[in-house]
Amino acid sequence: MNGLHGIIFCYEKRNDLRELADTRSAASMPFGGRYRAIDFGLSNLVNAGVTDVGIVLHGRYQSLIDHLGSGKNWDLSRKRGGLKLLPPFAYERQRGGTGEFRGKMEALSGVRSYLDTIRQNYVALMDGDLVVNLPLSEILEKHLRSGADITAVCGNDSFAVDNGTYFEPDGEGRVREVLYHMHTPRGYRGLEVYIISTRLLKNLVDECISRDQYSWRHDILQAKVGELNIRSFIWTGFAAQIRSVQEYYDRSMQLLDPAIRADLFTPERPIRAKNADKSSSYAGPTGHCVNSLVGDGCNVEGVVENSILFPGVVVEEGARVRNCVLFPDTVIRRNADLAHIIADKQVEVLADRTLIGHSSYPLVLSKGACV
Amino acid sequence: MKKECIAMLLAGGQGSRLYVLTGEMAKPAVPFGGKYRIIDFPLSNCANSGIDTVGVLTQYRPLELNAYVDNGQTWDLDSSTGGVHILPPYQSAAGGTWYKGTANAIFQNIAFVDRYDPEYVVILSGDHIYKMDYSRMVKRHKESGAACTISVMEVPWAEASRFGIMNVDEHDMVEEFEEKPKQPKSNLASMGIYVFTWKTLRAYLEADEADLESENDFGKNVIPAMLGRGEKMAAYRFEGYWKDVGTLESLWDANMDMLSPESGLDLLDESWPIYAKSVSIPTAYLGRHAQVSHSAFNRGDDLEGTVENSVLSAGVNVEEGARVSYSVLMPGVTVKAGATVEYAIIGQDALIRENCRVGASPEGVDPLAWGLTVLAPGCALEAGTAVPPKTMLSKNGEEVAR
Repeated sequence: MNGLHGIIFCYEKRNDLRELADTRSAASMPFGGRYRAIDFGLSNLVNAGVTDVGIVLHGRYQSLIDHLGSGKNWDLSRKRGGLKLLPPFAYERQRGGTGEFRGKMEALSGVRSYLDTIRQNYVALMDGDLVVNLPLSEILEKHLRSGADITAVCGNDSFAVDNGTYFEPDGEGRVREVLYHMHTPRGYRGLEVYIISTRLLKNLVDECISRDQYSWRHDILQAKVGELNIRSFIWTGFAAQIRSVQEYYDRSMQLLDPAIRADLFTPERPIRAKNADKSSSYAGPTGHCVNSLVGDGCNVEGVVENSILFPGVVVEEGARVRNCVLFPDTVIRRNADLAHIIADKQVEVLADRTLIGHSSYPLVLSKGACV
Repeated sequence: MKKECIAMLLAGGQGSRLYVLTGEMAKPAVPFGGKYRIIDFPLSNCANSGIDTVGVLTQYRPLELNAYVDNGQTWDLDSSTGGVHILPPYQSAAGGTWYKGTANAIFQNIAFVDRYDPEYVVILSGDHIYKMDYSRMVKRHKESGAACTISVMEVPWAEASRFGIMNVDEHDMVEEFEEKPKQPKSNLASMGIYVFTWKTLRAYLEADEADLESENDFGKNVIPAMLGRGEKMAAYRFEGYWKDVGTLESLWDANMDMLSPESGLDLLDESWPIYAKSVSIPTAYLGRHAQVSHSAFNRGDDLEGTVENSVLSAGVNVEEGARVSYSVLMPGVTVKAGATVEYAIIGQDALIRENCRVGASPEGVDPLAWGLTVLAPGCALEAGTAVPPKTMLSKNGEEVAR
């Protein structure tokens, strides 16, 4: 039996997703024309042979629970193990308060009894807002070979991330410094993916509970960087953390690059998602659709350029959609003109309207809005 | 567990008139409309009609079909009290035979039907494209008190002599059944969909099996026998899109109909969803030079060329400078740069290399020499190959006669 267990943190965190986060947590952000952010983490785990995954929830999780269902889309609907949803239970910060989790250690102490049910010797901790296709079995193997206490997976690109954690490893890959809240980031950007043994994780959680500590990166990574053998795994492929509208937009647009798609959607590790149960997409006689990703059941009669269309989007004749991301079932009526827009689900833009954002400030239309 | 109504889906036929397309799979498993397999239509109709128990009778090349039907989860038919059951012919203590005909296939599975002790059994075919609420047909069956209800639709009078025609009285009760009549008295054609009162059908199936002269076929034997013995037979009028896709031409036609909701086949209408198995591949990408018009496309497609009036399944590649028109491309087909595909049906995973010319438009071609061009699944053409209209190539690229 593969010795890896998955825990994905999907509790609400401070982010800059504006209206997009009104109705959902970052983990259920639509991405790439058919996915939700959490599909990537789940698929990464399942592709590494992981059979048991716990999802730590807190706040705005209706959309996420609806998406996950019983977990059968990821083959995680199992008699033993499988997908376990872990909403706050008997969580009593400030005596009865149910404020948001202050950090991962507080979240884990909230599900302490769950940690005792883990059958595997190792745990992969991940964030629900990460879009990546990691070879986790390879990372686990490397973790075991290196004798690390904690392996921190890091990205290697120039993207800075809102509230990111940065790692400075030495020549041998041992992490010497863990930094965050830096004005000018340095080191490798952490992807908030960690491999740790189940036993060590439980010990650290218990230690934090007894000292009223809550932060994984402050109370564990920073405080114990000398004491624990923390090693980095540098991932050179695509890795996006969805924490702001701008980041969401930029990272979405990157998918129009075939090389990025080939990397993120490598056929060896397929990304599984809930099926939209829609028909084929259709481009009409007047449709002109170029350099765009088009989800199932879209109907394109107008002009679509450099855009990402989720399932069921309708672009009527004469309408122009350029550099936009349109969430499921959005309708763009005749002769409307949109550029640099992110339209949430079921938005309707009426005929002849013009809405122009900018690549440095994409406009967001809230779910169900009628413009 | 007792059920009021269950369905039996006849999916065992070879579909020989689809030639190379059914070389390695049964007809119901043939891809349709870009996203679907033919069997998605009757199974989705069952699920939408509230029928949760379906026996799928398989015989010819069942591997692909079995894998596709799986546990029925795709159609929400993975139920603990019913669900989809694949029913192949089997051996028993007294020996065993292949299914000798449609009626014999049900006869051999009387024990399966009896497990559910149903009042009514719906008999379906695996080669029709349509959206139909079977519960309405069952309602009509109950109200008329018939032993058998046959679903019929009006066809143009000029074409009536190609169908099995039902002659009915003023209450739409069937008085006479004529197979392909030269002088049709009615234009109500049988759609090959039946509701039977199980107790009555069971007796007729046993009698039919005892008759050594019988071909054990519903249309040829059982229905005429029931009419002959004066059983109450009702017609149920269906209005809407329905097409038998048993031939290459009708399969191509139905695919083209999907592109125009005016044809009556509106698959974007979600009030009666047709479900299809999900594949884990990313969103379709239309490239910088893509010109896609009046065409359907799917997940995993990567389109850089010109696509007109065509239906593309999942995972299709059309490279820059390639042109596809009036064609049906099944999953995983690749059309390389400079190649042209016109008026063709291209089987799964076929590879059309650079500068091939597959098929041609009927314009300027002798009508007798023209026809759809068909490539078998897995067929790989060398660069520059020309495949004339009305030609059919096997997996190995050899010409197959129709």
